[in-house]
Formats: sequence, C-alpha cells, structure tokens
Amino acid sequence: MKYVTTINDKKFEIEITNDGRLIVNGQPREFDFLHLDEALYSLIMQNQSHEVVVEQRDGEYEILLGGHLFAARVLDERAQLMASRRGGGFTETGEITIRAPMPGLVVAIPVSEGDTVKAGQTVVILESMKMQNELKSPRDGTVQRISAEAGQTVEQKKILVTIT
Amino acid sequence: MTAELTPQKISKVLIANRGEIAVRVIRACRDLGIKTVAVYSEADRAALHVRYADEAVFIGAPAPRESYLRIDKIIDAARRTGADAVHPGYGFLAEKAEFAAACADAGITFIGPSPYAIEKMGDKQTARDTVRKAGVPIVPGTEPGLRDEDLIEAANNQIGFPLMVKASAGGGGKGMRVVHRAEDFPEALAIARREAESAFGDGTVYLEKFLVGGRHIEFQILADMHGNTIHLGERECSIQRRHQKLVEEAPSVALDENMRQRMGDMAIAAAQAVGYVNAGTIECMVDKDRNFYFLEMNTRLQVEHPVTELVTGVDLVKEQIRIARGRRMGPTESVLKPNGWAMECRINAEDPYNNFIPSVGKITTLITPTGPGVRVDSGVYSGYEITPYYDSMIAKLICWGETRSEAMLRMRRALSEFTIMGLKHNIPFHQNLLNSFSFIAGQIDTKFVEERFSMSTYYAPPTEEELEAAAIAATLVADRNRRLTGQVVTQGTRDTSNWKWFTRYERMKR
Repeated sequence: MKYVTTINDKKFEIEITNDGRLIVNGQPREFDFLHLDEALYSLIMQNQSHEVVVEQRDGEYEILLGGHLFAARVLDERAQLMASRRGGGFTETGEITIRAPMPGLVVAIPVSEGDTVKAGQTVVILESMKMQNELKSPRDGTVQRISAEAGQTVEQKKILVTIT
Repeated sequence: MTAELTPQKISKVLIANRGEIAVRVIRACRDLGIKTVAVYSEADRAALHVRYADEAVFIGAPAPRESYLRIDKIIDAARRTGADAVHPGYGFLAEKAEFAAACADAGITFIGPSPYAIEKMGDKQTARDTVRKAGVPIVPGTEPGLRDEDLIEAANNQIGFPLMVKASAGGGGKGMRVVHRAEDFPEALAIARREAESAFGDGTVYLEKFLVGGRHIEFQILADMHGNTIHLGERECSIQRRHQKLVEEAPSVALDENMRQRMGDMAIAAAQAVGYVNAGTIECMVDKDRNFYFLEMNTRLQVEHPVTELVTGVDLVKEQIRIARGRRMGPTESVLKPNGWAMECRINAEDPYNNFIPSVGKITTLITPTGPGVRVDSGVYSGYEITPYYDSMIAKLICWGETRSEAMLRMRRALSEFTIMGLKHNIPFHQNLLNSFSFIAGQIDTKFVEERFSMSTYYAPPTEEELEAAAIAATLVADRNRRLTGQVVTQGTRDTSNWKWFTRYERMKR
C-alpha cells in the first residue's frame, strides 16, 4: 500500500509492500520495526536506534521521537485521491473558536460581541485546577459570538467565544 | 508554647492529602514500619496513594471543600481506622491551625508544628511583626485586612510600584499578583481577591514591595521538642511562573558559606520567635546587592524538600515523624557545607506552548527515568486519568550530582528519558530551560521565566533524519492498524452485518 504522510508540513511518499518492504520517496530502505508495548515501538534504521511512541488521536498520529512531539497525517492512496477531489480538503474558514481546554468555571468574559480584539488579548478567564487561566485570542479579529457566560461551568472543548 | 515531652506513640499514620506527596509520606512510614491510611475523594479512587496505602477511606466529592478540606471527615476517618497520627502533606489542611487543634482534641498526633506556630506564621502580618521583633529584616509592605481604597492609597503613596498583592492565607502562588503600574492595580486587586477567596475561602490581601531582580531563597528548618533548632541549608527557587515554582535547587549559586551562615542564623531566629517545632521553611528574598529579607514561613513540608534531602542525606519526612514522637531529631548541627548539588523539575500537566494552560486526560504512555543520581516522586501511572479538580503537578524529577554541572547534565539525560503521552506537560519547558545560557550560568531571578525566557529561544529543531524516522514510524503503525482492522472485519463472526454493528458501536460511544 502506498501512503502520503504529512509531518511538520513536509510530505513523505511511503510504500509498504505486501511482503513488508519499505520504499520512502522512491528509495528502498532497510528497517527493523518492533512493537514493544502499547504505543511504544523501537525503530532501527542505518544502525540508528530510535525509541518511538506512536498514538492515534483525533484522526492524526502523535509521534514522540528524540524528545520531539510530532503530529502526522497518514493518507492511503484512496484517501489521498478523495482529498485531492475535494480540492485539497483542509481549508481555513477564517473563523477561530476559543474552546475550554479543560473543564472549568467561566469567571469572566472581558469582551462583548462585536468587539475587535488583538492577538494575545484575554477573551475568557476560566478557573480550573485551582488557577485562573486567561484564554487569549490567537490573532487579531472581531468577536462574532459568545457562547458562554460568567458563572457557568463548562465541559472540556466547549466553544466559548468565536472570533472572525 | 512549652513543648510536650511525653513520647507519642505513632503506629498508624493517616495521610490527609493526595498525589505524589501522599505517596512520599507513605514511603517514609513504610521505612519506619508504620501502617498507613489514605483518604480519597470520588475523583481519586484509582489514585496511586490509595493503591499504596494499607487502608483507604472514602471522604466525599471531588471538590476539595467536600473532601480533602473537610476536617470532620478526616478526623472521623482517623478514629475509625485507629490512626494515632495524621500527616497533612502540603496544601489542603497543612497550614490550618484549626486542623492541628482538631487533631490534638481528638487525641491524634499532628505531624507538624503546634496550632500556635501555624496560627502565628499563617497570618502573614503577625509573622512579619513577630520576626521583626526578633531582629529579622522584612520586605516593606502593608498590613492585611485593609479596604480597597486604603490599599490603593498605600500602593500609590507608601510602597510604590512594582509591588505584589498577596493573599493573607496564601501559599502556592494563589491570590498573588505583581503590579507594575498604578492603573493596573484595581483590576489586579480584584483578581487576587477572587483567587484567594476561591482557594482559601478568605479574600484578605496585603501588599508588599516587589524586589526587582530578586531571588527567592528559602531555608529548611528542623526543630525538636528538646530545644534544638537547626537549618539544613538553602534552596534556590527563583525559577517561577505566576509565582508557581517550577525548578528548585540546593544549594544556591548566590550564597557562599558566610552568607549561608548569616541567613541560616536569621532563619533559626525567625522559627524560634514562635517556638517552632518540626520541619518548616523560611522563605526569603535576596536582592541584587545580596541583602536578604524575610518573606514568610511555611509551617509544613515543602514540595521541593527532596533537593535538601539529596544534599544533606536527611529523610525529612522520617525526621518529622521522629520529632512528632517526641524524640531528639537525627541531625544535630546546621548544614553549612551541603554535599554536592541537587535540582528538581516539577512535572506539570500544563502546555508550555500554549500559555501553560492545564491539561487533563488519561496518561496513555509513561516511562519514568532511572539510573545514577535520579529520583522521581510521582503520583501517577500509565492509564491514570488526570482530573481538573486538583493541582496540575503530577510528578517531581530530582537529580543529584557532585557539582551543579553534573546535576544539570543528569537532569537533561533524565528529562530525555521521561516519556509522558496522552496529555500536555511541561517537560519541553524544562529541556529548553536547561539549554538556556542564563540558567546554566545561574543568572536567574524570580522574573526570569516570565520576562527573559521564551520557549523558542533555545529550541533545537528536529533533524531531517528524526523527521523522516517519525514519518516512517507513523506510517508503519497506520499500515499495521489498517491490516488489523481488515482482519477483524473479514472474520464475520458477528451475528449482524458489519454496518449495523458499526452504527451500534457509534451509538454506544455517544
């Protein structure tokens, strides 16, 4: 099976043949890949020994290798084809949602709908783990919608503020 | 204030705490052949301290005020299990005089100082007054309990900026704010009060001058009931973010033996001013010109106590128990020449790339470092779920070396072995910090992390080889998963079609 794996915006064409050979960007590669435990693997290539943790999360793979955490998207030939028919798939809508990174209590929302906000400006103060955490806008924009109110207890990933 | 000299029998200790510190106390008890009782909230049934203790008592809902802060439930648990002593750990009830008194009333030994000493030192202003009378220098500030108008007046006209708003009942950086400009003061005051109210149930605050370029250096005190009070040297705790310590070390690069002696004498005087018995910590600020000031006393075991243990060879929790039993403490002299160097990194479930926001979730993979000079005090395990109810600190990594350099190199090695998956954590922060020239040179102060450190400065990007290896590993796993799923679907052992089964499964997951 042929795969296209995207990691840190870099694409790798990787083929794993039915008899288990590995071809990376057209070049055959020797490798030794051993499953150790749960998500833990050992990969030896050109005598380089890598300890690797690979976990699947939200449709992506998270890889910890050499102290670096990577997020990778692995598409097989069919998925790759469908993605290209959709016109590349992953488009930015221009809308950012500020979500609760953990369950907590909304202490304050110091902005109102229609306000313009700057990157780094606090838009929600959420109390969790005994701390008041300031959730900030990742970029300049306009507050389009506020979907929570002060005093409300929210679940993890709940959308609190939408910025366009 | 006179110490009770009748020997106290301690054969079973209830630990009124959770997480890594509860595990730490259980270990000391095991070493001493003492039985242990854990208490746990609904959120902590699967916690490590519950697994390690001999007995475990359920004490209520996850919110601390329903469980770990309930004096009545904890005393009741001690009575029911026949525990003759209570160790409070740090945080929760550790610095509540009322709790120490309730233990005494119930005939249970409180492994810590007297209610009197907790009360005196717990009220920050009384503490400042008391130690000032004993000739100890203090940082200029206001008394607590003032109204907002008076605080604004004092801030503008007496203390000046920058200053710190601190909670009277404070600790652990809660309810604490540094304010640089007069116009930011009212908002900071409101936030500090809110935080103090929610963390301690008391919104009383006071102000203190903020010493620019100051280091946070604290002294470990040990005192027994036989009139002996010594110090075990200092800990440097200047690596902080929002007043939460992140890295501590012992000794401090800022102190020589002469200064250690002078500050140590001051620390002993401060502890003796309240007739202190058991382990305690005198927190100080040391300014750029190496003047030192008393900040406050923590009347409990500190999070960072292991660095002192590694450079003195003293097991502080065992000493606490020995002292509470009414015996003479083991060490007899203050430590002016610590043995080697120790460093601690607090491993927090916080995302260093996203404003250190706490992270919750299940730890899917956990590999803890081992080897020479490495100690891990942890409250978690693989498969354990971090909940949002308690502190985000999940483990402490402590390394020892002959020299500071050796300790740092071991810390780097140990951090690279430390693998935690499933949630965001601050190991990358520590790795970057240990690459920072200022930190390596020991040029740090309490504002270093917030003002002069960035996650990107010392970031070493992955090599091409690592990137490719990661891509290959992910693809091999994806391929493996695809083949495995393929096998399951073609087995056809289910009694309905795969499509029906799939929708049922989807429904179940909702």
